[in-house]
Amino acid sequence: MKKMKTTKMFIALAVGALSLVSYKADAQEKFFRAVGTPHNPKVDIAFNRYNTYEGLVDNMKKIAAAHPDIAKLESIGKSYEGRDMWTLTITDFSTGKDTEKPGMWIDGNIHSNEIQGGEFSLYGAWYLTEMFADNEFIQQLLKDKVFYITPTINPDARNNFFLEPNTANSPRSGMMILDNDGDGVAGEDGMDDLDGDGNITMMIRKSPTGRYIKDPQDPRKLIMVGADKMGEYEMLGQEGTDGDGDGRVNDDGVGYYDPNRDWGWNWQPDYIQRGALKYPFTLPENRSIMEFVMKHPNIAGAQSFHNSGGMILRGPGAEEDVSTYNRSDIQIYDALGKKGEEMIPGYRYLTVYKDLYSVFGGELDWFYGVRGVFTFSNELMVPYLYFHKQSGGQNEMFEVDEMLTMGDAFVNWHEFDHPQFGTVEIGGFKKNFGRAHPGFLLEQDAHRNIAFTIYHAYHTPKLSVMDVKEEDLGGGLKAITATIFNERLMPTHASQDLKYKIERPDYVSISGAKVVAGFVVEDEDFNKLTEQKNNPEKMLVDNVPGMTGVKVKWIVSSGSNYSITVDSAKGGKASWKKEK
Amino acid sequence: MKKTLLSWLLIGGMGLSGAAVAQSDYPTISQLNQRLQRVASNASATLTSLTKTEGGKDIWVLKIGTGQLDQKPAIAVVGGVEGYEVLSVELAVQFAEKLVADHSDALEASTFYIFPNMSPDAYEQYHASLKYERRGNAVSVDHDRDGIPGGSAYSDLNGDGMITMMRVEDPMGDYMISKEDERVLVKADRSKGESGKYSLYKESKDDDKDGEFAEDLKEGIAFNKSLTYKFPVFEPLAGDMPVTQKESRAMLDYLFEQWNIFAFVTFSPANNLTSPLKYNAGNAKKRVVTSILEKDQALNVLVSDLYKETVKQKGFQQDNQGTDGDFFQWAYFHFGRLSFSTPGYWVPEYKDSTGKGKSNAEVNYLAWADSLDMNDVFVPWTEVKHPDFPDKKVEVGGVKPFVMTTPSFEKVSEIADQHTEFILKLAEMQPKLEIHNVKTESLGNGLTRVTMDLFNNSSMPTHSEMGEKSRWLRKIRVDIDAAADKIVSGNKIELMESLGSFEKASFSWIIKGSGNVTVKAGASHAGFTTSTVKL
Repeated sequence: MKKMKTTKMFIALAVGALSLVSYKADAQEKFFRAVGTPHNPKVDIAFNRYNTYEGLVDNMKKIAAAHPDIAKLESIGKSYEGRDMWTLTITDFSTGKDTEKPGMWIDGNIHSNEIQGGEFSLYGAWYLTEMFADNEFIQQLLKDKVFYITPTINPDARNNFFLEPNTANSPRSGMMILDNDGDGVAGEDGMDDLDGDGNITMMIRKSPTGRYIKDPQDPRKLIMVGADKMGEYEMLGQEGTDGDGDGRVNDDGVGYYDPNRDWGWNWQPDYIQRGALKYPFTLPENRSIMEFVMKHPNIAGAQSFHNSGGMILRGPGAEEDVSTYNRSDIQIYDALGKKGEEMIPGYRYLTVYKDLYSVFGGELDWFYGVRGVFTFSNELMVPYLYFHKQSGGQNEMFEVDEMLTMGDAFVNWHEFDHPQFGTVEIGGFKKNFGRAHPGFLLEQDAHRNIAFTIYHAYHTPKLSVMDVKEEDLGGGLKAITATIFNERLMPTHASQDLKYKIERPDYVSISGAKVVAGFVVEDEDFNKLTEQKNNPEKMLVDNVPGMTGVKVKWIVSSGSNYSITVDSAKGGKASWKKEK
Repeated sequence: MKKTLLSWLLIGGMGLSGAAVAQSDYPTISQLNQRLQRVASNASATLTSLTKTEGGKDIWVLKIGTGQLDQKPAIAVVGGVEGYEVLSVELAVQFAEKLVADHSDALEASTFYIFPNMSPDAYEQYHASLKYERRGNAVSVDHDRDGIPGGSAYSDLNGDGMITMMRVEDPMGDYMISKEDERVLVKADRSKGESGKYSLYKESKDDDKDGEFAEDLKEGIAFNKSLTYKFPVFEPLAGDMPVTQKESRAMLDYLFEQWNIFAFVTFSPANNLTSPLKYNAGNAKKRVVTSILEKDQALNVLVSDLYKETVKQKGFQQDNQGTDGDFFQWAYFHFGRLSFSTPGYWVPEYKDSTGKGKSNAEVNYLAWADSLDMNDVFVPWTEVKHPDFPDKKVEVGGVKPFVMTTPSFEKVSEIADQHTEFILKLAEMQPKLEIHNVKTESLGNGLTRVTMDLFNNSSMPTHSEMGEKSRWLRKIRVDIDAAADKIVSGNKIELMESLGSFEKASFSWIIKGSGNVTVKAGASHAGFTTSTVKL
């Protein structure tokens, strides 16, 4: 086993080295740099197509191999069917351990049919690693921050979506098979791809009582006839058969459950929140993420990629949780979300419970509720991207397929001899159209969304110790006052975090001085102080708010060469040393 | 031969009675394990360890039944939901022992699951050198969330081997001496002009100097505070998320695979048997349901009446009808099963010669204990030196741990008998599906019409109102085994949401051909019935 792996690595390295040489030559001779895009990438990835799980993993391995100083690959657990959940940790490892820097979690594809989250996340990893060599902003970013990127957190059903017959909406769940129709047998009536094209489309049948005709100007469209006119076709619904003889077609396949109703904040059972499983983190994929996040208290921001509709969503997911989202935190969400609307045309910044629908046990509420992490969930792809106008609807989809995708998105109606319905016609839009980006829109939207996520990560806290002042108090005593400054939007503790004491306080420590007393300064001008009687060398500061600072003060009896450090779980570390 | 058999019987008998005689106090974990193994030696019982806790102790389940035991309605009996309720464990184990020894006839129609002890890590504290009423398991948790391991836990200041209370003389304190009993402290009612004289704490030291006492206990997560219904997030003993512990996950994973459970009987502090839960329309109709549903309230009344008929002790101060994150409410609100809970024992109401009762639970308890000359239940207040209160008078004392929730062991047998009887009577009430009025009519040309009624001959519906909503109970499924192409009308498979108490449903098929056809109807938690007709 080990040997095989090593051999594979060698081959991969050899291929990598070879391609490196050729790319370099190509870059000099054939290409001219486009601004904002990795110019001469060590790993070449086409962002106009989708990757299976294996394809994603292959690219992630190449990224980690090509950039060993800034990217590490690890499996954070196994999926239900036993696939590794691969996570890339991206930071400048030469400037400190990842766990000592504010972290940004990025994932995609929790709903298996929402595939482009995989490519968008991968784009993020690729962009950060490939730009690092010659972009100062990215260099500083990876010095300060760490990104944890897991492109697909539903690897089993991602592959099922691609490789097995499906609609654009299936499977939303993972591959666990449950008894959906309550008859005591699980998964006995799944999808049937009657025409074998990999897409589950629609079935129609000629019928004297049908109310539809094919549009004479566009026979792909079925239109309803007027109330006083005879129709020609009836709709039979989804392509499939009644597999279990209960009179219903495709009524017990994979699922139904929703991996995004499985998280442990305000979790509710299935009869309240359809799609919930047995208890929070029933799914091994989600459990692995939860355990990873609990072991990485430095994670301060999170982004998950869904589809579709062009939305930048924040919590709360349910009205019952409105009070969880405090005003000061909403201001930060608003600042980030509104910037996102500018960066990603066609996308709107919205709140799940009031603009979408209620969700209990969703991932973004968990990140915020249990960890106090500022989290967005983007619903990728919006019809605006087709013709740059607000429209949508089925007629536009036909138009898109005619003008932009040249008929590639539609299965034309064709006859089929159905075992239960007799002669039917099968046809309709393919599973990879509608919710998924067409190839030519994928890279641009990936870049814009990742730029937003980078902006989000940039605004996780950045701390420094500054403005250290000394005052001689006589009698061998002096007062030392220091400011802990946070030069970014986010506080070290969201108000949710403070309310429940989720994460430990920030520690501001002084060493090299004999401390007599220590205080947090409430008001420097009027000398309003709060004393910490126990262990004043290590002051416990509840929070360092964004774009401002907190002052601490010590009275010391000796020490001329001292240093001051701040150590924050979500805000990273910083230190200051007295010169001489 | 004869002699050997006789001597075996003798030894066996001695073993049994020996165990009963030798036991004068609640069993240790290893004694419990031995008794469970003994029950498991019965052919109808299977003992399974679902997991081991952080403290290395088994979470056992006994599944007791005969024949097709997964197709018979089942009751789950749960003990040790709170680690300090040692009685609850004993009641669950004695139920199992009595079931296999004396009531195996109940297994003809029903199956039983017994989870004897869900908090073995905490249970052990009853037998430990330092005794206190413990709830949490052995997982290490930073309850006060200060990021610093080891805050203030309990501390045995007077060295008596148990944790009671400590009172500190303090004019700013909230407590004063009860007018009914000078051993007891009660909250001063300042609105009535009463003034406090004491601060009252659990016996402890402020080890981390944060001004708080016993805020960071050396026990982990409490099973009965960490389930999903109304999970008290971030509270001490609950943790950050529900169902994170080995024992809770293992039990739930197991329960979700057992489709035949229709009711739970939990021995825990909550009580909906001496008085049933009350329906609240507002809370029942909210999206997040927090009231028993209307039809289920009626069932609760029915079962409560049965309990009061069977268990002699009158309910007194039984005002716990569920606490956040507990098991008993989870079984109903989140698992959709009928759920009943009782502590099994409580301090009876004491009235003095004038017939007057006591207003305070501790005062009532002490008066009752005094009347029975129980003089080993109270630690007299005794002054100790306390490092955190160098200049104040600190006294340790109070009601001893366990005594208010735990009857003396010789009383357990009677309590267990009554509760065993109650559970068996509850099992007799289970849904009972029967097929009646089977008719076949020949329609000529090889066609036969088959009609029948499916009847639930029980005062209990096949599904509680909550159970009907749950995806974790199966529907009533009616199958006819005729080939699909022979069924001219009627469904080969019919699914029904539920069948009410003493409710019937009629079915009719027209079938082509001759021979026998069999109809099977039921669901695991409601049992099955079949009927075969000749065409």
